Amino acid sequence: MELSQYLNMMRDPAGLPFYPIVFQFLMVLTFAMHIVMVNLVVGGVVLAIWEKAKNTPFSHRLTKALARMATVSLSIAIVLGVAPLLFVQTVYDPFWYTATTMSAVWAMFFLVAVAAAFYAAYTFYLGKQGAGNTKTSFALSSYVCVIFLAIAGVIIHMITMEQTLPSQWREWAVSSWAGLNTSGFIFHGVKLGRLMHFILPSFAVTGVFLMIYAWYFQPRSDYSKEYLDYVAEKGAKMALWFTVFSVGAGFWWAGMIPKSLHFLSNPFFIVGAVAGLVLMVFLAKAATEPVKNAIPLAIAMFVAIFLMCYAREALRMAYAGASGYSIFDYKLNISWGSTLLFFATFIGSFPVLYFTGLAAFKAGRAEKGEVVTISPSAGRLALSLMVAWFVVVAGLGVVISLKNGALF
Amino acid sequence: MYPFWEVPFFTSGIVIALIATFHILPCHLATGAFWFSVYVERKAVRQNRPELKEFVQKFTLLILVFCFVIGSLTGVGIWYSATVASPRAISGLIHNYVWGWATEWVFFIIEIATIYVYYYTLGRIDDKSHLKIGWIYAWAAWISMVIITGILAFMLSSGKWIETGGFFDGFFNATYWPQLFTRTALMFAIAGVYAVTVASRMSDEKARHEVVRTASVWGIAGLAGTAVFMAWYLYKLPEPAKELSLGGGLPYLGHMLTAAGVLMGVIFLYFLVVGLIRPQFANVVTGLAAMLILFAAIGAGEGFREGVRRPWIINQYMYGHQVVGPDLPAKGIKSEVAKFQEEGLLKNLYFIPDEWRTITKETAVKAGRILALHQCGNCHSFEQDGKIRPLPPLLAGMEPESPDDLAGFLDSLGDYPYMPPFTGDDQDKQAVGAYLFYRVLGNPMIDEGE
Repeated sequence: MELSQYLNMMRDPAGLPFYPIVFQFLMVLTFAMHIVMVNLVVGGVVLAIWEKAKNTPFSHRLTKALARMATVSLSIAIVLGVAPLLFVQTVYDPFWYTATTMSAVWAMFFLVAVAAAFYAAYTFYLGKQGAGNTKTSFALSSYVCVIFLAIAGVIIHMITMEQTLPSQWREWAVSSWAGLNTSGFIFHGVKLGRLMHFILPSFAVTGVFLMIYAWYFQPRSDYSKEYLDYVAEKGAKMALWFTVFSVGAGFWWAGMIPKSLHFLSNPFFIVGAVAGLVLMVFLAKAATEPVKNAIPLAIAMFVAIFLMCYAREALRMAYAGASGYSIFDYKLNISWGSTLLFFATFIGSFPVLYFTGLAAFKAGRAEKGEVVTISPSAGRLALSLMVAWFVVVAGLGVVISLKNGALF
Repeated sequence: MYPFWEVPFFTSGIVIALIATFHILPCHLATGAFWFSVYVERKAVRQNRPELKEFVQKFTLLILVFCFVIGSLTGVGIWYSATVASPRAISGLIHNYVWGWATEWVFFIIEIATIYVYYYTLGRIDDKSHLKIGWIYAWAAWISMVIITGILAFMLSSGKWIETGGFFDGFFNATYWPQLFTRTALMFAIAGVYAVTVASRMSDEKARHEVVRTASVWGIAGLAGTAVFMAWYLYKLPEPAKELSLGGGLPYLGHMLTAAGVLMGVIFLYFLVVGLIRPQFANVVTGLAAMLILFAAIGAGEGFREGVRRPWIINQYMYGHQVVGPDLPAKGIKSEVAKFQEEGLLKNLYFIPDEWRTITKETAVKAGRILALHQCGNCHSFEQDGKIRPLPPLLAGMEPESPDDLAGFLDSLGDYPYMPPFTGDDQDKQAVGAYLFYRVLGNPMIDEGE
């Protein structure tokens, strides 16, 4: 049996409930959102360790802020990661399931590593809240957190890389003396260039976060200008230099890609590379006024990350195409009803998240002890949308159940 | 077929079962807890009793730390474990319900946003807005249950979907509503146990006893609802599932149901004694003991739900060994049973040495192992002292005298109400028969020439 025959045979017989390009777009978009949060966790914890070692009042304060940010970012990263995980299984199912099954033990250990990293981060955060801030166990927890994050990162990188190398699967998993390797311990495909292209941006993203932090807390009287300048300048430097390093790592990785894939002339790669270079220039110019430029820079950085994620997806398409697989050949069984359900819910969530975000934004900017009032109309709309969703779907459910004789 | 992950002695299915059972605790807590939390906060606001807010803060922190890492991770863990244990089954679910899961994900985002904001803005924004955020969280979390229950119920009773292939026809199936109501009631019982435990740490004694009692009343109401709706659920089970579980087809399923009922009875006593009669007994130790009992009860209940699906992993569509059963014209899907029985499974495997595709005396046992893993390995361990449905004692009980006896037995597998049919041709059966006879049962291989 040929590889392309296997890949196409293993596509799910049910087909896709909507056009593959939509799943692909959502996969890339949600992956970009997920990876930004992952970057914040990695960059935040490492920077917290660095700042703690400096042992100054400003660095202590920043360490505490970063420790809190790491716990929040990690749990958001986990939730955001569900979506790209879902969509990759939808359009690249033969690749995802094959690689994950071969490396099943690592896939399981990935979950353990993330859980360990989170609880280490939480210990670190709660430790920073207490008096003293110098206890060894709390310092240790930050190192434990970084180690487990690194393990989780390498595992998920490896499983992703395995998906791009289908021509080697049989070589890894099958031998004439042992038959099929069913241990789940298969571990192949680590590529340093690609891994660095995911790790280095962590510090650039964290740099931009620091700039936003300085911008956000400006109105608060308990945040001195000196402290916020310290944070913003550090952020601007980190964002610029680690963007430069990330772009360098990106070209290193690109140079390692087989020439037969013609990736360097792929339009998605060119757009992604240009976005990275433009971001570098923007960062260099914005470094003189980091607080003022924080928000436009954050938007520019997300756009650049999104475009680079699309370039990465173009590379995946090239690898899959070389093995005779295209997501655009997937059989379609269009489900308009469920597609509408998702997009209506997705759009309907915006006012809900707006109200929640508004509450967080205003409460965080208010002085300590001050109680702020949030727009009652925004709150009413948000809550009404939740109830309305349930009423509509439950109503639909009752009608369908009665029609199908499934209710009683 | 995808490669196979073998978990010696236990099977990979047990990995899913463990993660799934553990997931139920934080996920049902996440869905049920805030109805209670917001109720207490509303009381605190209306009656101007700030001491009650101590509970709200502690309870929310527990939900944050427990549910939004362990809960989310074990949720992802179910996917990962299903991926590595039954990739074609999870693929089948995802390709029918991807938009359902994506919709659930939107509510996950709302949940995580609102719970952090709820926790960090307590006392920092006006009470009405804070309560609204709490309500939004409660709705979002429960709606995520409303969605996932449709997919879970679909696996047991796929309903009209078999004819139409329609998303909603499969989603709102015969066991959907009773299962949703059972889980909804159960979430209040689970939230009650956690609430009693957290409330036992409150500093104000009067408020502590009040919250412990209220949480216990919620818990008892939840248990009562669970019992009522569970009865409805059992009534709505598909006939083959009823026959297997309540009719004695597989006695262990009845035992699991009984165990779940008895353990829930113990939780009822916990609420009654520790919560209502002697609230001073409420503490972390009794709370943890109650949670362990809940864990066991949920394990038994979920084990029952999983077990009654047999021989299907997706009712009337995909068998437990991940082979598509009947044709599904509405989606243009052809039966794989017929295909593999005609063409042979061995010829349709990619992950096998090429020289093993044609069975010889030398390759029969080796190729038979791979085939047996695909056909039996999801549910049966192959070791003599395996812990999950070990094959050696089952096969030894038949007293086979040759591989042919076992190959012949494979023909009759589909006659058992809880077993999928063997999906391979005669050559495949010979290979599996040889593997089971010589390797699994350990009979010596004798050269026929001697």
